[in-house]
Amino acid sequence: MDLQSLKKQENKRKISKGYMWAFFCAIFWGIWYLPGTVVWVLNPFDEMYSAIAAIRGDEISLVITAVLITAFNALTVMLALMLWNGVLGKFGELKRTLKEFQPCSKWFFMASIFGGPMAILGSFIAMGFIGGAFAAVAALLYPVIGSVLAYYWYGEKISKRAALGIGVIILGGITIFGGGLLKDLSGGSVPWIGYLGGLMAAAGWGIEGAVAGKGLDISEPDAGLTLRFVGENIIWWLLIVPLLAVVGYPMYSFALEAFEPMTLMILIFAGITFGFCYVCWYKSFPLIGVGRGQGIGNLYGLFSIIFIFLFFGEAPQWTLLLGGALCVIGSFVMFTEDTSELETLRGD
Amino acid sequence: MGLRPIKFRILELFLDEKAHWNYEIVSKIQNEYDMQGNFKRDSINFDILELASGGMLKDVEQKVDEEGIYKQGFLLHRYMITDFGKTRSSDACLRYV
Repeated sequence: MDLQSLKKQENKRKISKGYMWAFFCAIFWGIWYLPGTVVWVLNPFDEMYSAIAAIRGDEISLVITAVLITAFNALTVMLALMLWNGVLGKFGELKRTLKEFQPCSKWFFMASIFGGPMAILGSFIAMGFIGGAFAAVAALLYPVIGSVLAYYWYGEKISKRAALGIGVIILGGITIFGGGLLKDLSGGSVPWIGYLGGLMAAAGWGIEGAVAGKGLDISEPDAGLTLRFVGENIIWWLLIVPLLAVVGYPMYSFALEAFEPMTLMILIFAGITFGFCYVCWYKSFPLIGVGRGQGIGNLYGLFSIIFIFLFFGEAPQWTLLLGGALCVIGSFVMFTEDTSELETLRGD
Repeated sequence: MGLRPIKFRILELFLDEKAHWNYEIVSKIQNEYDMQGNFKRDSINFDILELASGGMLKDVEQKVDEEGIYKQGFLLHRYMITDFGKTRSSDACLRYV
């Protein structure tokens, strides 16, 4: 084979690999909404919600319970990722990356601020207040923020075609989001805090992707994303949970009750799916860019609707289906992009 | 000071502003970090690939690996650091050599 065609073939392989990682991210991410929804009805979280709601009201109770659930989610994700690094033999690299706090690790800790207390907490709030399918699709808007930030911040190119695909995906997101909102408005009561959670998820994940890209430039994704979750665990377990306990919420007593088989199993399931969705997500960025990685990863919205329908039998509204279809179309607009354009993702 | 993250070291090796073949860099890193075996070799090469697709290295020359220096029948790449790569390296406190 001559040099030119071998080059083309290699480039194609690289890009399809990037899209494959992003696609797996979408599947794992979509599955994550199953344990994320189920965990709300399991003890101690169910009891915790009722106990706090009796004193402080539903809304505060839901947020506080969501904090504890998110903290446990971060813990199991971190453990799953540590295992992953162990399998790959990357503990050495993990330590080396952690030591480079100034140039490198700080970006992952910043990413964990937007990913954790903003995006993941927001998702759990949306799941608890409105439902898994809504939580999933509400976050579909995150590539707008991610792509725009990546474009202005480090000049990542967005081709016309990619922009079109992202646009269609967003349209799908708006259809799903707007459909639920219109129904709630006509019903007279709108669970605003749930919608706020959805917006937190979208903004948080978009910013996280762009911020993490800064650190990913110069580190290995496997080490990088583990540090991002180490950061999130520090935020939850050393800052927010103790703070809430000091203010008087029974955080520790309920946290200790989480160690029962069913609850643990669901939390571990959440940790594994979420951990590997991140592994795939971060691996796709250097190969196809933050904007595209996020765009294809967006198929999770559709997968989550399918999984929720299969496992819980909750039939989605027509707006969810239409929006989901738009997301698939948008992703394929990006997917069929001519690969020669992607040879260099950034200008020199 | 001990070893730095692998991508830092790769960038550092390119800071002489000369073009280097991927197999030269990979075997150098393999020795420095004591990373033997095909899996680890490929993972180092993937790091170079990531740096290139991130715009920090540019691919200046390719040749077919006829003799199996790295992987027979595959492409060998020769890279140079870009201005963006130099900026990111100086962010990472790497010194120009």
